[in-house]
Amino acid sequence: MRWLRFAIGLLIALTLHSLLDSFYPNALAFFNPYIILVAYYSMGGNILGAILAGVLAGFVQDAFSNAMFGLHAFSLTVCAYVVAYINSRLSLRGTLAFGACLGGAVIVNELVIYVLVNILVRQRIEMFEQTVLVKTIFTLLFGMLVYQLLTLFLREEPIEATRQRSAW
Amino acid sequence: MAVPTDVIPRRPTLLFIVVLSLLFVLMSFSSQTRYIGETRTMFERTVMTVFSPVPKFVNWIGGTAQDMHHGYLDMRRAVNENLELRRKVASLTTENLKLRQSEGDLKRLRALLAYSEQFDMQTSMAQTIMLDTAGRFKSIIIDQGSGDGVQVNDVIANANGLIGRVVLTTDDLAKVQLVTDNNSAVGTLVERTRRQGVLRGNGSTSVQLFDIPALADVQPGDRVLTAGIDGIYPRGIPIGTIVRAEPGQSLFKNIVVKPSVDFGTIEEVIVIHTRKISPAIVRYAP
Repeated sequence: MRWLRFAIGLLIALTLHSLLDSFYPNALAFFNPYIILVAYYSMGGNILGAILAGVLAGFVQDAFSNAMFGLHAFSLTVCAYVVAYINSRLSLRGTLAFGACLGGAVIVNELVIYVLVNILVRQRIEMFEQTVLVKTIFTLLFGMLVYQLLTLFLREEPIEATRQRSAW
Repeated sequence: MAVPTDVIPRRPTLLFIVVLSLLFVLMSFSSQTRYIGETRTMFERTVMTVFSPVPKFVNWIGGTAQDMHHGYLDMRRAVNENLELRRKVASLTTENLKLRQSEGDLKRLRALLAYSEQFDMQTSMAQTIMLDTAGRFKSIIIDQGSGDGVQVNDVIANANGLIGRVVLTTDDLAKVQLVTDNNSAVGTLVERTRRQGVLRGNGSTSVQLFDIPALADVQPGDRVLTAGIDGIYPRGIPIGTIVRAEPGQSLFKNIVVKPSVDFGTIEEVIVIHTRKISPAIVRYAP
């Protein structure tokens, strides 16, 4: 069931990606739907599942973007691991906690991409700080809104839906 | 808040490192192949192929929505254009009718003018404002009266032929007795044989020609003109065509003439200001 939800979430993220690409081509520079999915899924504290989710979501994002294949998979896996690791030690709940994790994940994601691009392609990313700031704000706002909606529609705390019943 | 340390998985960290290493290798490979033209690895293609229905579907939805939006806009534009064109059609139809009317008026007036120029007498144009051609007394009213120089016994005609004569004038109007009126009488001649007679109205749409001897050569189809012998009507104005010429019970023929003027459609007329003969001469009896 958790994986079905993840699959649906991935399709929704890809749909958003396609929509934004079609109608507002620059919007993805300020907003990342995949990281919301990965952060949300990783908050269950299941590290293995989070890694898998990060890799899958990253591959999909890579397949439909013009970056090096594996770049987003790498960065999202790192984010997923960090968020899942924190949540495996601290049982975080609520929208604010999710927001904090998501914000951190966005920043980590951008930093990892910045480092990798510098190492592998030796390219300088223009206006990195501004992009990170704007992307963090917009992704955070949208992610928290989605989390609030999930709170309304799911009977349990949304994070619980991603939590594995027994530790792996 | 804290989770017991014995349930924290350890192996995933190793897996994490392995996965990251593999991804790094994949990225390196990808970044290298990107510069030699092979921009997509097979794995990348596979992922794209698996998930390609989603962007295609989104694109289709977007395209359909855009088409519908454009279709709606086009439809609105077409509706507005249609309304505008309908308005234009109505306006142009009205204009066309006016032009046709003007063209008809122009033709009639030109014909009248050409016709009036053949008279050596003074003529003027007038407009019919009332027609009484269906009653017992056939008359029309024209919009010119004594103030315009119209006098009793002035002759009224149009391009088709004789209409009648003025029998009453006011300052700005004149009443015209039609040739079809019961009390009308016109001195005439048959154009082909020059046989003279008197044309009288019979109250219907046709007139009768009297005083033509039974032996005279008069046939249906002969044109009848004014003879200029009655002191009112000038010579040579067409009156109509003989439609029936039969031997009568007396010495004269029964002749029916169909007027060349359609009295139901008279609009503009020519007033021929004829030379009036003094009543003293008319009534003179030696």
